[in-house]
Amino acid sequence: MSALAAPPLPQGLPLNQATALLRVSSSGLRQQTSPLVDETAATPLAKPDSALQQRAAELFRAAENDLHRHTDQLFARLMIVQWLAGIAAALWISPLTWIGDSSQVHVHVWAAILLGGALSGFPAWLAWQYPGLTVTRHVIAVAQVLTSALLIHLTGGRIETHFHIFGSLAFLAFYRDWRVLATATIVVAADHLLRDLYWPQSVFGVLTASSWRWVEHAGWVLFEDAILFVAIRRMLQEMSEIALRRATLEGSNEEIERQVVERTTELSRTQAELLETSRLAGMAEVATSVLHNVGNVLNSVGVSAELATSKVREFRTGSLKNVAELLQHNSADLPAFLTTDPRGKMLPDYLLKLAVHLAEPQQAILQEMEMLKKNIDHIKEIVAMQQRYARGTGVVEVLSVADLVDDSIRINAASFTRHEVNVACEIAQVPPLKTDRHKVMQILVNLLSNAKHALDQSEGDRRMMVRVTQNQEGMLEIAVIDNGTGIAPENLSRIFSHGFTTKKMGHGFGLHSGALAAKELGGTLKAHSDGPGLGATFTLTLPLEN
Amino acid sequence: MAQYSQTAGTTGIPPAHWPETSRAHRHSGQSQLVMFLHPRCPCSRATLGELEQLVAHCQGKFSAQVWFIQPEGMGEEWVKTDQWHAAASIPGVQVNVDHSGEEARLFQAVTSGQTLLYDSEGGLVFQGGITLGRGHAGDNPGRDAIESLLKQKIPSATSPPVFGCALGWVNNQKECTACQP
Repeated sequence: MSALAAPPLPQGLPLNQATALLRVSSSGLRQQTSPLVDETAATPLAKPDSALQQRAAELFRAAENDLHRHTDQLFARLMIVQWLAGIAAALWISPLTWIGDSSQVHVHVWAAILLGGALSGFPAWLAWQYPGLTVTRHVIAVAQVLTSALLIHLTGGRIETHFHIFGSLAFLAFYRDWRVLATATIVVAADHLLRDLYWPQSVFGVLTASSWRWVEHAGWVLFEDAILFVAIRRMLQEMSEIALRRATLEGSNEEIERQVVERTTELSRTQAELLETSRLAGMAEVATSVLHNVGNVLNSVGVSAELATSKVREFRTGSLKNVAELLQHNSADLPAFLTTDPRGKMLPDYLLKLAVHLAEPQQAILQEMEMLKKNIDHIKEIVAMQQRYARGTGVVEVLSVADLVDDSIRINAASFTRHEVNVACEIAQVPPLKTDRHKVMQILVNLLSNAKHALDQSEGDRRMMVRVTQNQEGMLEIAVIDNGTGIAPENLSRIFSHGFTTKKMGHGFGLHSGALAAKELGGTLKAHSDGPGLGATFTLTLPLEN
Repeated sequence: MAQYSQTAGTTGIPPAHWPETSRAHRHSGQSQLVMFLHPRCPCSRATLGELEQLVAHCQGKFSAQVWFIQPEGMGEEWVKTDQWHAAASIPGVQVNVDHSGEEARLFQAVTSGQTLLYDSEGGLVFQGGITLGRGHAGDNPGRDAIESLLKQKIPSATSPPVFGCALGWVNNQKECTACQP
């Protein structure tokens, strides 16, 4: 029995060793009786891996059970086919028995229907209801060889029909269970023995057969069995090898899956960090723009303060003091001093001229103060706008595209004025945009700032255009077009990469974070340039509803 | 089923000499085998198989004729079954229609598969069946006996039973009492 049992699985190799062993010795596996065991014994590092062995055994049993169930179902169908074939054979060969011109149904027809039905029906039912059970396949084995006997009888003992037995044995070998073949062989031998004893002509075709002739017949069956046993053993061996390979692969897969999960988690964390960094970088860009513009306004404030100071310095406070001292000195007879003293007589004219002289810087100071107030209001406005956008992160609002564009230009307005950039807008009639105000603002401020930088380095007329349209897919397109330095073709493909910049003081965060923000909003950010010196167009495409 | 297979038909007592009134032509100087078959008897398929073997084993030692019974009122198409064609395809075998069982009556053949062998002088040397059971092919004493007679001239001491359907040319009851050996 043990000689035909499944070969033992290797006494546990560590996963990597088992994998390597299978890889190295795969070609030799089929040529050795138990190559895996031999290899294991030859490997000094081999240690028992009971988990691998246990898993391989489980897989082997599962495959074996699956095979038994499928073969049971195969036989269930075969039984039905054989039953119908038996009936057909009976109807074809011996449908009626005759006395002259009168006839009745031949007994073979009834035998094919009833006996054949019993022989096929019960095992087919078992295979249907209890597939995979040991008893099922043994019942099938018995029924199959008895069906052979019935078919032989129905065909009038034709020697050709005896081949059904050998075909049946080959079919039964599908179970890869030598015990099933043993059961079938025992039934064949017993059938021949009993018929040899009591009804030899029914099986051997002669009235008196040798009492050992059944051995000859059984011997041929055993001959086929021997070949099938060898085949079964090999197949079981292959099944156990496959089970071991699968167990090893499962182990490798689990390890790979674990590593993938680990790496994915790390990647997600890194991506989240990158996103946050980019978001902060984007905010920093906006903040930089704000500060830049505030700085520009503060320049004006400083100039105004300087002018006011210089005007104040122009006030002739010494002259006033001299007049005051002269009046104090002549206070005893002030009317006489004013009417008779030559200095007193000149004093009204002098005071009048002094008043006129003081009024001029006062007016200038007032004008500068007015300018100062305006500039301070401008700073307040810029800061308030920045605060408004900084607060709104993640909040989806219904926005006017025109207002968004206008705000983003105003944040940069002082800078544009200072750098003599002429900004124009073309805003088509588009529906309101439902999106995250802060993210769109971040992108636009960055694009306008970049365009301004590109224009700074170019000579001649500095023009910038913001064009808003709705494309054929219904998406909103905001294009920032400049006639600045343009982008070299080799830089177009990496302009959105993290860390890539062409600015001397740049960080390479702005466009990268802008592209990420556009993606988060369900849109895209694309760049186009015909080359250096030919300007550039950055197009932000957004769905109208996010 | 076993009982059915092993139940032989009744056997008549054929004439010891070739009946002169028979339409069957006897070739003088040669052993003559006469076989009577029911054209639709499934058991007789095995008998034809054994006849085929006989012809193969004893080629040129005898001539054979098979008579297919045609009951009263049946047309020729009723007779010309696959068995008719199987018999006709055996080399050297002459196939005939026995109208209303006249020849069977002459030779006292009652069961399909009944085989008679007359020697070159017209004397009956064998009578019986050449199968072991109803419709069962295989070695059998009837065929062995005929082969021995034809090859070694050893007379047969047995009359093997005939396994087949009744030819039906006589009432069964009468036939059973009249023809049992």
